[in-house]
Amino acid sequence: MDKLLFYVAMAAGKLSALALRLLGRNATYMPGVIALKICKNFIKYLQKPSCLICVTGTNGKTTTSNFITSVLTAAGHSVTNNSFGSNVQGGVAAALLLNSTFGGKHKNEYAVIEVDERSSLLVYPFMAPDYIICNNIMRDSMKRNAHTEFISYVISSAVPASTKLVLNADDIICAALAPQCEHRTYFGVDAERPAATEGMKARDIVYCPKCGARLEAEYLRYNHIGRWRCTACDYGNPARDFTVTQIDRERMTFTVEHNGEALVYKLINDNIVNVFNLCGAIALLTELGFTYEQVSGAFRNAEIVQTRFEKSSAGDLNVTRLLAKGQNPVAVSRAFSYLSKCPEKNKCVLLLIDDKEDNINNSETSCWLYDLDYTPLRDPEIACLIFAGKRGKDHILRAAMSGVDTGKILITDRAKDSSLLVDTDKYKDIYILYDNYFLDEAIREEKLLLERGAKAQ
Amino acid sequence: MTVEILFGEVCNLFGDAQNAVYLRQTLPDAEFIETPLTDEPWFAENRPDMIYIGAMTENTQRKVIKKLLPLKDRLQALIDDGVVLLATGNAGEVFMKHISYVTENLETDGLGLLDLKVTTDLFSRFNGKVLGRFEDIPIVGFQSQFSRVEGVKAENAFVKVERGVGADRKSKLEGVRVKNFFCTSLLGPILPDNPLFTEYLLRLMGCDRPAAFRKEAMDAYEQRLKEFRDPSTVF
Repeated sequence: MDKLLFYVAMAAGKLSALALRLLGRNATYMPGVIALKICKNFIKYLQKPSCLICVTGTNGKTTTSNFITSVLTAAGHSVTNNSFGSNVQGGVAAALLLNSTFGGKHKNEYAVIEVDERSSLLVYPFMAPDYIICNNIMRDSMKRNAHTEFISYVISSAVPASTKLVLNADDIICAALAPQCEHRTYFGVDAERPAATEGMKARDIVYCPKCGARLEAEYLRYNHIGRWRCTACDYGNPARDFTVTQIDRERMTFTVEHNGEALVYKLINDNIVNVFNLCGAIALLTELGFTYEQVSGAFRNAEIVQTRFEKSSAGDLNVTRLLAKGQNPVAVSRAFSYLSKCPEKNKCVLLLIDDKEDNINNSETSCWLYDLDYTPLRDPEIACLIFAGKRGKDHILRAAMSGVDTGKILITDRAKDSSLLVDTDKYKDIYILYDNYFLDEAIREEKLLLERGAKAQ
Repeated sequence: MTVEILFGEVCNLFGDAQNAVYLRQTLPDAEFIETPLTDEPWFAENRPDMIYIGAMTENTQRKVIKKLLPLKDRLQALIDDGVVLLATGNAGEVFMKHISYVTENLETDGLGLLDLKVTTDLFSRFNGKVLGRFEDIPIVGFQSQFSRVEGVKAENAFVKVERGVGADRKSKLEGVRVKNFFCTSLLGPILPDNPLFTEYLLRLMGCDRPAAFRKEAMDAYEQRLKEFRDPSTVF
């Protein structure tokens, strides 16, 4: 009976996808939801591709998934990927459904599927991935993800023991996921070790999960990312199998050491979080048997997807658009930190980081703003901050509490036309930080700024 | 003046840690004692003017209960003596009678200073907003919890809820106030989000001074009050 329901679900899902496309709508979620409504075991009955790779973790899923997919595609393989769709259960089902025959046979050799951490229990037990790569487990949306212990519990409970894991060794929470899985590959970054951890406090892990004693950080890069050891037992970060040993920011390359061999790859983006993402992708692809030539060749042509990072210029104006996932304090803190490290002088930053939905007939929670590190915005070279959205007054208070000069802050409650507040006579290097749901608005404001730059030429 | 921040290294979820920062900024001359989970709380031998404890994971909750259980009578004595004690998010549950962790199938007795029972289900997350009143002060806040607290009575409720619900997810009573012990499911930056309540707590400690960054805090508070009072705002 269940199998019969599967075929009905498959037909309904495919028909709904067709209908959605005829209406000019995206078919990356609803077909999966419809199929799962009809047959709750829908994912279980789908035939898997030859190799099913799932990408999870708080930050970096899409970037990593895109890197892996680009290498597989460049090597001539057919790949199913949901990076432009949804990564919750319905989106995963939709991606697999749309790439399967009516009988449930998968059409592609590989599937690289992003899986939202909270969806783990609804996905992994039904599809038994060959590989899961996890980049990090960090503080995320309070409303959905609660805390890192909860997310670790959910993922660890869901992953089948047969799955091979590729984990960030420098994230001690991530590295401990799913202990039932014996096949584990660890990656991390040793290059550019911070000199000290002074002033930096990790909040999501403090005590040893094994013996309860205090953990001691050898160094921390941000949050709990770094190297730890227990003060009382042998617990600590695992040894890395793939290590970034050098980052050359001038040549935009980085070196990965594995089994005593050091290989140089193109650095697609110099943000340290992307160095981790790239190293994870290399570790996974090497595990899959891809050669250095195949991986580095594909990396040479790869770029961070333009919806995530885009630099443009017109006249003397330089505009950089950078994704900073709202309600995710670590992602936005990393973006703030990145901004402060950008070498330009007299920077102006337009921020569209409030939650779009939560401010329509609603009032967005302020909680995440208080986990967000505003201190990089103290940078005197960040000369102007424009917060566009309903939470402007909250941002001013948080900035004041963090020692940021509030005199350089402007607020407007609308994203639309917020770039008009940018004094383009005064500021030539403009950054637009935006939440996923403000992509269209960010592109619009970027375009308006570039038009002003071109006109002034 | 002495303020003890209990277990701030682990009781800091959802922005709660910034309550302590805001208190420090408001009371620059006060002594702040940060007690980690591995140390004996300062209040065991001394009388602080205020104790603050913030939201934590369920696993940490059990460790905190274990740590504080031998000091239960001392805590009761301090509460009776009028010490200000603020517990935000699920920190207040530690002081309650019993917690059932249904997902993990665990039963834990709390300190029993409050005759309330808690049920925690990791697969039932509740997110909410509260607009209410404590005495004559409008209170705004946010909830995000796996737990459900049963048994709050009108006579000792902290906030009379006007919009939203209390920690039991259904009533119009939020949190508990016993003398100067305030226990609330509202979490995150309750002090900077509610500068008038912060100033009320300061007065309880004999300190009549404005909350830090008062203008900025009042601007944000008034904006939130306006949004919470707007009939089109969904609760």
